[in-house]
Amino acid sequence: MSQSSTCGEGSSVDNAADTDHSTLKHLIEHAAHVLPSQGAITAFVHHNTLHAFEDLPFDVAVRLGAEVFGCRPYLPEERFREEVTRGRIRPQDLEAVLIEDLSEEADELIGSLGTRFHLRMAMLEHPLQTGSLHELRWAVEETDALRKFREETPLVLRSEIIAATKQWVMRELTNGRQGHGTSDQSHPGSDPVTRVFELFGQSNVEKWDDAIWEAFTLHLLWWICRDGVEGVEPENPERHLPVRPRDLLLDVTGEDADRPVHELLIRFCAAFLDQGFADWPLPNREAGLYHAFIEVDRHAGGPPDRWMRGLGKELQRLHLQQVSALESIQESLDLFGVDEDSREEFITQTLLALRGFAGMIWQMETRGDRVEHPAPQGSLIDFLAIRLILDRFSAAYFARRVGFRGPLCELSSTLGQRLHRSSHAEVETRAYLVFQLAQVRGWEPHQLHELSQSVWRKLIREIESFSSLQRRRVYQLAYERKYNVSLLDAVAVHSQRTREPDDTPAFQVVCCIDDREESYRRHLEEIAQDCETFGFAGFFAVAMYYRGAADAYYLPLCPVVIKPSHYVCEEVAYSFEGTHRRRTEVRRALGTASHHLHQGSRTFWGGILTGVLGAVASIPLVARVLAPRTTSEMVKLFGGFVRTPPITQLTLERVEPDPGPDEGHLGYSINEMAGIVERVLRDIGLTSNFARLVIFTGHGSSSLNNPHESAYNCGACAGGRGGPNARAFAQMANDPRIRRMLADRGLPIPETTVFVGTYHNTCDDSVMYFDLDRLPTSHRHDFDRAKTCIDQARQRNAHERCRRFESAKLSLTPPQALKHVEGRSVDLSQARPEYNHATNAVTIVGRRWRFRGLFLDRRAFLASYDPVQDDANSTILERILQPAVPVCAGISLEYYFSCVDPEGWGCGSKLPHNVTSLLGVMSGAASDLRPGLSQQMIEIHEPIRQVFLIESTPDAMLRIMEDNEDIRKLCVNNWVYLATLDPHSSQIHVFRSGRFEPYVPQTHELPFVGSSQDWYRGWRENLGFASIKNGSSGVVTTGRFAQQGGA
Amino acid sequence: MSLDHFMTLLGILVILPPAILLATLGLSTLVNRPLGETWTSRLSQVCVSTGLAAAVVMLVMMLTLNTRFVPIELGNLVTIPQQHFHFHLKFVFDRLSVPFVILSYVLGGTVGAFTTRYLHRERGYNRFSLCYAFFMLGMIVTSLAGTIEVLFLGWELVGLSSALLVAYFHERPSPVINGLRVWTVYRLADAAFLIAAVAMHHLTGEGDFSVLMGSGPWPAGKAALTGGQAIFVGALLLIAAAGKSAMIPFSGWLPRAMEGPTPSSAIFYGALSVHLGAFLLLRVSPILEQSVLLSVLVVLMGLTTALYAAITARVQSDIKSSLAYASLTQVGIIVAEIGFGLRYIALIHIIGHACLRTLQLLRAPTLLRDYQTMENAIGGRLHSHPSSWQQRLSPTTRVWWYRFAFERGYFDSFLNEYIVAPFQAIFEWCDGMERRWTDFLAGGQSRESDVVEAQPHVVEQMEM
Repeated sequence: MSQSSTCGEGSSVDNAADTDHSTLKHLIEHAAHVLPSQGAITAFVHHNTLHAFEDLPFDVAVRLGAEVFGCRPYLPEERFREEVTRGRIRPQDLEAVLIEDLSEEADELIGSLGTRFHLRMAMLEHPLQTGSLHELRWAVEETDALRKFREETPLVLRSEIIAATKQWVMRELTNGRQGHGTSDQSHPGSDPVTRVFELFGQSNVEKWDDAIWEAFTLHLLWWICRDGVEGVEPENPERHLPVRPRDLLLDVTGEDADRPVHELLIRFCAAFLDQGFADWPLPNREAGLYHAFIEVDRHAGGPPDRWMRGLGKELQRLHLQQVSALESIQESLDLFGVDEDSREEFITQTLLALRGFAGMIWQMETRGDRVEHPAPQGSLIDFLAIRLILDRFSAAYFARRVGFRGPLCELSSTLGQRLHRSSHAEVETRAYLVFQLAQVRGWEPHQLHELSQSVWRKLIREIESFSSLQRRRVYQLAYERKYNVSLLDAVAVHSQRTREPDDTPAFQVVCCIDDREESYRRHLEEIAQDCETFGFAGFFAVAMYYRGAADAYYLPLCPVVIKPSHYVCEEVAYSFEGTHRRRTEVRRALGTASHHLHQGSRTFWGGILTGVLGAVASIPLVARVLAPRTTSEMVKLFGGFVRTPPITQLTLERVEPDPGPDEGHLGYSINEMAGIVERVLRDIGLTSNFARLVIFTGHGSSSLNNPHESAYNCGACAGGRGGPNARAFAQMANDPRIRRMLADRGLPIPETTVFVGTYHNTCDDSVMYFDLDRLPTSHRHDFDRAKTCIDQARQRNAHERCRRFESAKLSLTPPQALKHVEGRSVDLSQARPEYNHATNAVTIVGRRWRFRGLFLDRRAFLASYDPVQDDANSTILERILQPAVPVCAGISLEYYFSCVDPEGWGCGSKLPHNVTSLLGVMSGAASDLRPGLSQQMIEIHEPIRQVFLIESTPDAMLRIMEDNEDIRKLCVNNWVYLATLDPHSSQIHVFRSGRFEPYVPQTHELPFVGSSQDWYRGWRENLGFASIKNGSSGVVTTGRFAQQGGA
Repeated sequence: MSLDHFMTLLGILVILPPAILLATLGLSTLVNRPLGETWTSRLSQVCVSTGLAAAVVMLVMMLTLNTRFVPIELGNLVTIPQQHFHFHLKFVFDRLSVPFVILSYVLGGTVGAFTTRYLHRERGYNRFSLCYAFFMLGMIVTSLAGTIEVLFLGWELVGLSSALLVAYFHERPSPVINGLRVWTVYRLADAAFLIAAVAMHHLTGEGDFSVLMGSGPWPAGKAALTGGQAIFVGALLLIAAAGKSAMIPFSGWLPRAMEGPTPSSAIFYGALSVHLGAFLLLRVSPILEQSVLLSVLVVLMGLTTALYAAITARVQSDIKSSLAYASLTQVGIIVAEIGFGLRYIALIHIIGHACLRTLQLLRAPTLLRDYQTMENAIGGRLHSHPSSWQQRLSPTTRVWWYRFAFERGYFDSFLNEYIVAPFQAIFEWCDGMERRWTDFLAGGQSRESDVVEAQPHVVEQMEM
């Protein structure tokens, strides 16, 4: 083994070693920023997959991201073409975005062949086949490609081309070409016409029928294209050799040197990160990854794999010489002969090779507060050190197998020479593009034949510069344009149809801004036209660590960017204390028993016992699978005997001055609570016109057999369930002392108003009410009314959701639909308990009445905001947008990337997922950790960037963007679209290349329907917009004739 | 209709449904008109419930009539009179096969119902169903086999469908690599099985178990082999069983097989197919009685496998590998029980273990939630206690054992380096010689495949 010979001069005892190491450390930490930033799956937080690239414009970033990660930047071209075929992308969308994209360059002429715009449109409208050289040769030789015109070529064009060709060659023929044929034999490439005639034989040319002429024309066209292309040398960009020897080895030998390395490293990292699954934890884990690895593997007598031969000795040396992880990395870099310039790329690519685990190690190291067993500082460096040691052994082994015996540092250059990759743009491949385009654009053979060399060059450059990547960029724009235009048109029309309600509503409901609550709110508004709904981030400004009465520990319930300082726990009412204690004991006994069963069944003796008695397991097995809903009801029924007693309270009020987890320090001070209540009510604009009943609704989701369960919960509660937040808020707002303080601050809440906290389970559409025992008797009637409406809304919401589930019949009635979704949430075999944020497309911030009754198809995040109540500086809007823009954009972009490449950016199919170390999933037996969303979660999503539509003025938004870098870069770099709706009219402004432009609606039509159900009934796909008559008491039913506002 | 006829009809009703399922799914796929999800799932429900009902009626009939042995003769599939060979289609219902058939139907049916929803909208739904049908037929045929040839037929069907389902996600490399690995081990086991079958024919002139094992109904039969013959045949069958049940030294494939969709892992490697080796030993258990040495071998193989798997299971940090080794532990114990002659206990153990493990594997993805529930009930973090023997080891020994368990007993490495690598070297040498020869004949480079790039450049739409 040539491990000891380095290429640099013996560098380990360099004086500059220290500074070297700090730069190295810096490089590694820098590289760590591109690693996936998803933490433990138990607290799933949606975020932009390419968060690290947000400083760049979207199109640049996805291209760069695609290069660095080896994933797709946009949907594949076939997918876009399907969308063109089914009308989701219309020709006018393509034209519009292309014109905008090209601006004044659109009319540039390419010889006599039309303008750049026409050429590009042709390339977008018609599928261009391309493939490897062998594929194309096959197409040319074995298919009808040279005998029949493409199907897209119109018949007229087809016969015109053939006729023109016929005339041309007959003319040529009579001009005495016969002689040429023989004289040019020695240069068969000189004249395509001659060549094709040789093929077809010109003796009885007069008797040719149409089919032969068609074939002849196409052959001629093909040869002319070939000759034309041949004259233009391909623009071969300097091919950048991969920096990792593994990539070169793969290219040259087809063998993957990472495979054995990963097989070991995956298991080792999983053992290191394990949060308590394995019964036998990794020895010396606390000493760090690097030392633990050395400790386990340095002894003799390890596995006899040939590639690992000598590893023990090397580790023993590192151990004896006390070589640190950084020093070892330095050694490995020297041994690989990595020079200063490629060092960063080398480290980045090396880390990215097992990016899931590397990212998780980095997360556990930097956000250790989120897990039970964090990773010690420097774990990522440890990881890299081990990885490089293993890489060295593996690369050397695979290199030896192809006969390389030199030192490792010469491996790359040796392999680079062997890499005989021919310029991959061969003549045929390039000519075939022109050939296909000629047919759809109607270029005649003689026309092409007469092109000068310079025009050919221009044509080919033109075609090649509009590569697949560029085409997909344009498709993407067109894809988004159609949605955006119809959205803005719908809003422009609908906002003229609504007016501000003036009566006091019967009850008010405040939900999370979540897109899944859009339909719930809409149905509620349709059922009770006299109710009013609001949207606020689902933690309701109550950032806390929360522990339920039956919970083991505190969990954070607030956005992931906030580290809460307050602790709240749920306690059972004093009168139930005894029952509670007993039940807790029973639960503990049951829990301990099931833990023993769980673990015992995997051991030797315990396994025998459970195995022999295991036939009992067939009862829950069969019942759970065949009748999930009934089984779960039975379980619930029996569970009732050990559940916490129904009456509990939150320890919300703090006695001691400082918040903390100890007795007396739990909860908030009165002043803090007043601040929370004021903040929320002012943000949503609920400062007057209070109803007698105000219902705050947190949300979450429960499903079985779903490692990603947390991702379905409330994003504003860091993947937790927001019920306790709503409950805490209601309790605060009901407190008379707090109300007095609020009245002093100019926010009087009438005494007749009562707040109630509820929890909406978005999976089974159940709603749970908190603290009803404290509901004043005077409000029973109001509550009954609200509850009836809510129950109906649950059914209708379930019904609307069911149209998306292929396994739910479209003929279900709302009560059946509710049963259906209840079944889904308790079904072990259900891979799609709900569709989560799939299809999300827009965030609307503004007064609800302006959008009320607009059918948004569960695709909109809805935040309430009243621009009229805001100050001149838009302070309230700013504090709403500060979390809302990054969070909603994060969700939208995570869906975008996971949808565009489910295997690359997403976590692939859910079906083979394997929970590892209690913090992530692998695909199958052993794979990298898979961050991102699964195939089943995104299958109905349309990967488009989100539109933020904000009821405010352009000036206010410009000011906010200027002061908030996070918002600015997302908007300016086109990661999201931004538009404003004027607070006093229907005028919309869209933000484009750094400034706001007034939007001119393309239509004044918007369908009018009686109810949501009338609109969605019978449809499975995404639906367009419509005004719903029953949706709002304020809708002016005369529709487009309404003359209102200053539009 | 006489009672005999009724029993025969009943027997056919047990065997036929999976065959019909396979024929329908297979033929419709063959003519490129695959059934949709709904029809596929309905058909498999009907087939499985018919088969199960028939099997249960059969059980009741046998209990009431107090018969312990019902043979079903379906004639000869192949007859070669010159060689005195006939492939005799014979199925038997006895105390071993009836419980096993019912178990197969119950678990197979449950997993089938599970799959209907779990694989909904999956592109490979039809492919999965087809493999499932192969598997069901294989399981039923194996369980009821009355001759060693029929057993082999079912055994092969199970092996084929298992390997194909491991490689179900064929877009990614590792399922395919692992599927191939499973297939290779299975082939080895099959080869041993086949040699054993031929040897049995040679020694007794029959493949029929009733001739082979004497006329008594299972498990009372007495093998018609001498001690020496029994060791030879028994050892081969033991290798076959070891391969199929992932016993030492073939254990490496079992965790690797967890590549397919969760339900297929559950039924194959948790429940049914991993027990087939044990079933085979049960079926031929009269042979074991002929030789103490053989029984000792079986016990040793079972116990070492169980101990090895129990240690290895402790260090696994992902749920599926952990369950795979947990299964293996019990399979080892079951095999040891068979070696000790505790056949009924082994049978009960198989049934109980299969049910439990299927449930555990099917709900493996819900692990995080289960842990949270248990933690909440207990009121704190869950702690695993190191076992007592573990604490008694010195730190160095403990690390050694950890590494042994972590590297899965080095068995795969040993097989790779000392069995696979030499084989490969021989074949590569042969290939080199052949190339020289053809180059010589062709007077130049004779292989077009040599110039094809190892890693064809994918024309993904990445270029600028």
